[in-house]
Amino acid sequence: MRQLFKKKLMQDIEKEAARQDTEGQKPEQYLNEHEWEKALLKSHDFKRTFYVNQKTEKKFCFSFISTLVDESILQNNALPYLLEGELTEIVDVKSLIPIADVQVSDHNEDIETKLFNGYVLLTLEGEEKYFAFIAAQKEVVRNVAQPEVEFSVIGPKESFVESLDHNLNMIRKRVPVKELIIENYTVGSLSKSGVAILYIDGITNKDNVNTVVQRVKDIEFDEITDSSYIVQLISDNQNSPFPQLLDTERPDRIAAILAEGKVAILVDGSPHALIGPTTLVEFFGSFEDYFLNYLLSSFFRLVRLFAVAFSILITPIYVAALSYHYELIPKDLLSTLITSRREIPLPPILEALFLELTIELLREAGARLPTKVGQTIGIVGGIVIGTASVEAGLTSNVLLIIVALAALASFTTPVYRMGNTIRLLRFPFLFFAELWGMLGIVVSFSFLLAHLLKLTSLGRPFLEPLYPPRITDFKDAIIRLPFTMQYNRPQYLRTENPVRFSEKKAKQKKDIDE
Amino acid sequence: MRIRSFFWVLAAGITLSGCVEKEIIDDVNIEMGVGYDFVEDDKIEGTVMIPIFNPDKKIGNFTYSATAASSRDLIQEVQRKSAQPLVTGSLEIALFGEGIAKKGIREFTDAFERDASIGARVYFAVADESAKSILSGTYGNRGNAVHLSQLIKHNMETRNLPITNMHLYLFDLYQEGKDPYLPILKKVEPEIIDIVGIALFKDDKLKSELPPDKMFFFKLLTDKFSEGAYKLDVGKEKVVIKDLDSKHKIKLTKRDPYNITVEIKIKGLIREYTGHIVTPEIIKKIEKEFEEQVNKEASAMIKDFQEQGIDPVGFGQFIKSKTRGFDFKRWEDEYKNLTVNVKTDMIITEVGIVE
Repeated sequence: MRQLFKKKLMQDIEKEAARQDTEGQKPEQYLNEHEWEKALLKSHDFKRTFYVNQKTEKKFCFSFISTLVDESILQNNALPYLLEGELTEIVDVKSLIPIADVQVSDHNEDIETKLFNGYVLLTLEGEEKYFAFIAAQKEVVRNVAQPEVEFSVIGPKESFVESLDHNLNMIRKRVPVKELIIENYTVGSLSKSGVAILYIDGITNKDNVNTVVQRVKDIEFDEITDSSYIVQLISDNQNSPFPQLLDTERPDRIAAILAEGKVAILVDGSPHALIGPTTLVEFFGSFEDYFLNYLLSSFFRLVRLFAVAFSILITPIYVAALSYHYELIPKDLLSTLITSRREIPLPPILEALFLELTIELLREAGARLPTKVGQTIGIVGGIVIGTASVEAGLTSNVLLIIVALAALASFTTPVYRMGNTIRLLRFPFLFFAELWGMLGIVVSFSFLLAHLLKLTSLGRPFLEPLYPPRITDFKDAIIRLPFTMQYNRPQYLRTENPVRFSEKKAKQKKDIDE
Repeated sequence: MRIRSFFWVLAAGITLSGCVEKEIIDDVNIEMGVGYDFVEDDKIEGTVMIPIFNPDKKIGNFTYSATAASSRDLIQEVQRKSAQPLVTGSLEIALFGEGIAKKGIREFTDAFERDASIGARVYFAVADESAKSILSGTYGNRGNAVHLSQLIKHNMETRNLPITNMHLYLFDLYQEGKDPYLPILKKVEPEIIDIVGIALFKDDKLKSELPPDKMFFFKLLTDKFSEGAYKLDVGKEKVVIKDLDSKHKIKLTKRDPYNITVEIKIKGLIREYTGHIVTPEIIKKIEKEFEEQVNKEASAMIKDFQEQGIDPVGFGQFIKSKTRGFDFKRWEDEYKNLTVNVKTDMIITEVGIVE
């Protein structure tokens, strides 16, 4: 089968080459045969067209990849002028056509990259050395949509798209200063993805920038399809379940963290930007926190932190208490727990695993299915399986409530990546709770803590401000203090200019009445 | 290296988990009440009460009884009768029959203090007649153990029962110059348990009993009130004083022979008064009457303790804390000659909204 397919392909290629030859006459002398041409000629979207200038009767040729080029630009803005204008030398192209990005070059090695970036190669009869590139990129970009992962009721409603230029445009508009530096690198031997590294000169610590630049440059990978690849490739500890770079789809958030002195990484083709260095507590702060009054947002942050602890620990505690520590259970709760468990044939651990896995299955199924079907799965799973398994005597209803609440609590984390981590963390805790009871929970918590203490994000401590303790950085960590108190940038970033605004001046500006 | 250490932890986790005794909540019999009685031939009857959790959320009770020569044999006897292992961690109340209490309960309390799973706030009580008859009844709808412990708890917190539990009992027992005391429970009706007084111990042996009407004065001396109530006769009228709040302070006023002053400060409000209007003069009168009564009763009680040679208030311990080179051998005699003055200061803060 494969042989047959190959054979057919070869035939096609030969046919195509023959067609090119007959249609476009014989390749003229001024067309230098290059390696890239031979390879390109096999693709059917590589086009080469020949024209003759009406005044000078010079022949010229367009070479381009039709799928990357907006041909209407060629037809309307280039071709009429080139046919009718006085084209004697290649430099004349610049003055003839009304397109800003026209380059004359003699670098043969540039041709391949330029062609794949949507440029049209113009060669002229009689010019052996020089040729011109005309920019005619075709931009296929979806519209700027509302943020879906980090939706906020208040605040800007635009989110990143897959085009790097559009994304940078959204950021530039929010930080219109010359200090905003955008460095560009190409990563991936096949994908040639553009990676932009953004920081504000004079604020961001150069070490942080250099770390990012060096790590991005060092990436050895063929196809980078999304910024998630970059996160995994440049993380400090790639074996950690914790994401060490924050990702966001909000340009406003990027603008805010640039002002704090962090580095942003944008990848062409990815609607998610990366932020580093970051800390653990930052993953529990939603960007909407900054749009609300500080009292409200502090409260919500505390709720979220509690939800995370609850989500990780409640099922293991249930298993530990029911398997080992009956004396911990208050006497009023004892009857509820025992009554709910009297018909259950499974030990607490199996009961808990059964429900946890059911929830995981539901989540996976819901995530893989189209939205409409996914809703049905939610209802089927939530109501039917839950109720039925209680009625069938497979699980106790107390545990059903606990597991459902834990699952709900894990969804409160504003960053999706962190939510996934929390999903995973529960299982080692469960395992150790079954083995050693409460002691097992303490042991696994110690492991977790040791791991978090060791973890760094771009070389900066991940558990800051909890450890190393930085009292001043608590102003925007577990709680968020009012903006008037956020006059210093976070300490752990070691910014070149630690002062955001003058505290004194901010206090001087008072109403006339006062 | 890291992988190796990880495997060590995993291996330890799996192998060491065999060392932990698993007690799955519905596969054990949770002992919530226990009672000891004295039966003939120097034998002890132990009763263990476990709750039965019914599907309709009602809690039933079940008791295992066994007779043995010592408390250690009792455990074996009872375990043999139980279908699931008996565990002691959720013990709520331990009852001692009067016969056992008179012979000394150290043998039993020793087992409780050694068992790490038993909390220090287990209630101890002396059972008038037999512990078994109290444990085998049915009271309330939350199980016997919870009923009994709540009965004792609310009487301690808001009524005239001085606070005792396992911790305080053991503290008093091992404290030189202080003797422990426990409440006495009695089954007055098939479904009702009453607190019929306070059992006063000499060391771990029951020495005498204090009737319920003296409990109020006893608590004034040994404990503090936060929410008590007392009925008082003033001339022809009767007064009920509520929300009693009391403090007591012991002062050593003289040595050789020892002379002690107990200062009691009481605050309260008038809840019921059979007369019409409470005037300031009447308040003064009530306060005075109350003070006199407390002084009289408390002094008489202390005199009684001195005669019996028991010291539940802890005068010995108090004097020891104030005296260098205190000798407990001499204290036995000195206690008999101790002079105790009770001074009471009563303030009525409120008389109700009727003027």
